[in-house]
Amino acid sequence: MIETLILGFILLLIGLYAMLSQKNIIKIILGFSIADTGVHIIIVSLGYLKGRRAPILDSAVDIANSVKEVVDPIPSALVLTAIVIGLATTALMLVFAAELHKRKASFSIDDYKELKW
Amino acid sequence: MVNPLYLIIISLMAGFVLPLLDRVNRKLSLATFIGVLLANTVITGFWMHGFIQADLGTLSFSTAGFTAPLSINFQLGILEAFVLLAINLIGLLTGIYLLKKFNESPLAGMILFIMVVMGANGLILTRDLFNAFVFMEILSISTIAIITLKRTNESLSSGFKYMLASGIASIFFLLGVVFIYFFSGSLNLDFININFTDYRLIAVYMVAIALLIELKMFPVNGWALDVYESTDAGVATIISVINSTAIAFMFYKIMPLLPSNFLYIFGIIGALTYLMSNLMGLKQENARRLLGYSSIGQMGLLLASIIFTAGLEPVLRIMIVGGFFLNHLIAKTGLFWISGLIKKEKLKDWRVIRSNKSLMIMFGIFIFALSGFPPFAGFWAKWEFVKSLLAGQNILIIALILLGSLFEVIYMFRWFIQTVKGEYKEDELSIMPSGKVILTTLLGTLGFGLGILIMKNYYGFNFLFTLPILSLLFIYLIDFLPAKIKGIMSLGGLAYYGYYLYTLVQFENPIQILFGVIFLVGSGVNLISTLNRSEISKGFYGLLMMMIFSFGSLLIARSYLEFFLSWELMTIASFLLILRGKNAQKASLMYMIFSIAGAYLMMVGFGFAPELIGSSALITGLTYVQLPLISIILLALGFMIKSGVLGVHVWLPEAHAEAEADVSSFISAILLKAGIWGFLLVAISVVWNAPQFDVYYWMGWLGVFTALVGAFLASFQEDAKRLLAYSSMSQVGYIIAAISMLSHLGWVSAFYLSLNHMMFKSALFIAIAGVYYRTHTRNMYEMGGLIKKMPLSFISVLISIIAVSGVPPLSGFGSKWLMYSSFIERGWYLQAAVLFFASAVSFLYLYRLIHTIFLGQAKYEHKDVKEAPVWFIIPQYIFIGAIMVLSTFPNLLIKPLSAMASQYFNSNIVIDGYNVYSSYGHWNGNLIMLVTMGVFIVPLFFLILFIGKITKVKQFNIVYAAERPESPQTTHVAHNMYAHYRKALGGWGKPRIWDFWHGSAEWAHTMGDFFRRIYSGNGQTYLLHIILFFVVVFFLGV
Repeated sequence: MIETLILGFILLLIGLYAMLSQKNIIKIILGFSIADTGVHIIIVSLGYLKGRRAPILDSAVDIANSVKEVVDPIPSALVLTAIVIGLATTALMLVFAAELHKRKASFSIDDYKELKW
Repeated sequence: MVNPLYLIIISLMAGFVLPLLDRVNRKLSLATFIGVLLANTVITGFWMHGFIQADLGTLSFSTAGFTAPLSINFQLGILEAFVLLAINLIGLLTGIYLLKKFNESPLAGMILFIMVVMGANGLILTRDLFNAFVFMEILSISTIAIITLKRTNESLSSGFKYMLASGIASIFFLLGVVFIYFFSGSLNLDFININFTDYRLIAVYMVAIALLIELKMFPVNGWALDVYESTDAGVATIISVINSTAIAFMFYKIMPLLPSNFLYIFGIIGALTYLMSNLMGLKQENARRLLGYSSIGQMGLLLASIIFTAGLEPVLRIMIVGGFFLNHLIAKTGLFWISGLIKKEKLKDWRVIRSNKSLMIMFGIFIFALSGFPPFAGFWAKWEFVKSLLAGQNILIIALILLGSLFEVIYMFRWFIQTVKGEYKEDELSIMPSGKVILTTLLGTLGFGLGILIMKNYYGFNFLFTLPILSLLFIYLIDFLPAKIKGIMSLGGLAYYGYYLYTLVQFENPIQILFGVIFLVGSGVNLISTLNRSEISKGFYGLLMMMIFSFGSLLIARSYLEFFLSWELMTIASFLLILRGKNAQKASLMYMIFSIAGAYLMMVGFGFAPELIGSSALITGLTYVQLPLISIILLALGFMIKSGVLGVHVWLPEAHAEAEADVSSFISAILLKAGIWGFLLVAISVVWNAPQFDVYYWMGWLGVFTALVGAFLASFQEDAKRLLAYSSMSQVGYIIAAISMLSHLGWVSAFYLSLNHMMFKSALFIAIAGVYYRTHTRNMYEMGGLIKKMPLSFISVLISIIAVSGVPPLSGFGSKWLMYSSFIERGWYLQAAVLFFASAVSFLYLYRLIHTIFLGQAKYEHKDVKEAPVWFIIPQYIFIGAIMVLSTFPNLLIKPLSAMASQYFNSNIVIDGYNVYSSYGHWNGNLIMLVTMGVFIVPLFFLILFIGKITKVKQFNIVYAAERPESPQTTHVAHNMYAHYRKALGGWGKPRIWDFWHGSAEWAHTMGDFFRRIYSGNGQTYLLHIILFFVVVFFLGV
């Protein structure tokens, strides 16, 4: 579906923009999350074929001809894994943010540049 | 053998079991942790063994009961097995290294560590792209989480920056994978069979860029530097070695999908990363961050080598990529481990390493390995890589890599020198021997052994070429013996070696014998002077013998590689020998930098040279090949750097002056001749296959100016050893000019002067060593009147300087006579005139040498000075005796030398009895000797008769207005003796070449400092870099 594909890319760009423009670490993480969601939507849209059935082989689907009747199941399978990984990444980012805030009481990314050059 | 799936299964199970076991007992969980890592290593080790034993081909292991592409499959070939074994072994060792840390920290550390190793294993094994994504995420998430093993503000913030970068990378990777699937219909690398050319390119591009980001390519690597700097040493090791290796291997796997123009750009990015991170490393003072820069650089080199060796045959490719990989793996692991033991941030604080001898040696081994010295894997890899790049005409890549390598050598050796020579007090905190030290030693030994293995098994070097290394090791084992015993053993060993070479190897060309005399007999006589050492002199004889045996190998080398290997071994030995001097930090660093630059020129020069036919020594083999002009120029330049030709001579006075007294004579009299030997080899190849452009005409001029400038500089020195050093430079200039003439007479005089210079310069340096030994100063104006205290040294200096100056009756006259004849015969009149002028200038410094040291009034503080020790006198008089004999009977030498040169040119000198006839006259050395003796004896009688009438002047009866000057020495004529000449030279007396090199160094540092400012420390800036990188590289490729 082209509409959802475009939507996915828009979300991705919004997320990236947020990551680049927001100084607040929490907002940066939100940006990442939005971008990640965009990617997930893109994945699902790539697998979706209009007018076809869910890829479940039961009595409603002609097994011999199933390839032409159902949508591609692989992107759907992939996106589940991707979501889980995205969750883990976001969680770890938030842990870092919390741990950083505990030390400096600041969420501004500009406050964390002790190391450079 | 065990299914490699167990690499994943065991680790995953451990992840679940460890928390339970930990509840029982921490020891139990630690044992399980090590057990898992050990199991991984054993499994991969068995596979590696299996692949070596039999050609198993490439095996595929499928999962879930389906075959690929329906299921995820693992592929295991010899390449995978090799990489897996390497990283699992490092994983195991680093796990052991971190045991204590894990014992004190929460259990999560251990689990995360196992997950990192598992992620890396999976990434290497899997053929499924989406599965690769999963393993990559496991790898990065657990790597980032394990950074918090050390919880400081720095490590947390750097971990967060890493997280951001890797988050973006994973988005790119995932999108790329999905689009690859969309376009090709498969996720399995073996089943993707479409070309990603048109718009579909973006899919593979995204995957590749994600990998480049994870590989920390320039400039998208600021976060990685922060991580390296702030995290625990063990964690830095696994990031630098395990994590990066797995990702580089992943890149290797997707390479077939990438279009060639993009591959080329990625290769350039790799080489550029190597150059830039080493350039930026120049300004680093923090050890850990420096290692970070170096790690990133090595990854760039690895990436470039993976890409640019694509067309080579597999064995060679493994030699190159595997060589760089192993080198990085071992050296970087070792250095990171040491950094954990040192617990100090600043580079200069690393001197505490000296409290632990074996750790210090390992530090040296890692530095040498990383800098690409033999016998370590990196040396062979670099040699083959440059050769293959040249075959593919990739000059740009070579330039980037060699320049980067030079920068790396500079900061690595600056660090090394600072560490082993810097101020160090014994009571500073010291490193206790511990398990970690043993582990590091084990690793260093492994690296060394691997290098030797490559050398013996892949290249099949025979005993003679490994002798320099073996002798170093052997003498290290007996280093507890007193210096004299080791010295005599060395002398005996050298004598047998010389005999062995002469009788058994059998030289193909008499020129080899001449240089054999210079290298080996000269070294042997010089060795006598080292017997004066009364202390144990740890390490000295090992290095000395390593250098001498390398000279021998240079003579008999049959291939470019044999020659280059021996050359580099010689460089290592001579560098460490120079470094032994008390204040030799700067001198040895300069020597190293110039030597390496010269070696790289030679490496490229040899790369351009055509293959040799047959297996005769280079001196024969090179006559039959036509060297291209570029090769001639590069090789000649490389050799001239070692000889200290004008422009690249700045290392020479420093090294000569600051080396230990008995080492200087080896450097000047013999080491410089190694450069001459190489220069001669190149010239021999030109005799019959001359290039279109007469490059030797210009080299001749270079030699002439070297002679002139060297003579002037020598005249202005206050330091006796510096004076002699510049004098050597001047003499080498004569030799270079004479060889460049490419004529019979020119070469005869070059040979003659080479031998002569070896003898008189040895005698002079040893004499000055004796003077220094007694007076403890090298400043000539602080000496004076030593003729009465040290008459034997005086006579030897007197005879030597007569020989140098080229006045009758000594051998120097013969060489000058031959030389001017040859210049006139060749029609190089102007050159002859300049050289003649240089000879006149050389009288200035020779006069200064003998006058200020031996003549005039003796200084009060030297009133108890005695003659130099006998060990200094013996070698001097052996050389003096030889000079006298050869001066009286010059034909003993001229005849064979003429025969040597007439192999290449028609002889135009005739030798008849004591007369040598050239087309411009004749010379009878014997007659001249007799006449001169007569001329001297008459005034001597006269003096003896009337000596009583001489009035002696008392010391210090000169008083300035009733006051004694505060430092009487500097008011003496001996201080700044030729000030008026210096003034007369005006602007020409300024050290412009010094300024040039200093300027270059400063410029490089400024550039490094400028570029590293892009790493602002702000995580968001790094994100911006990534986005820009993504866009810019794409448009460069399209």
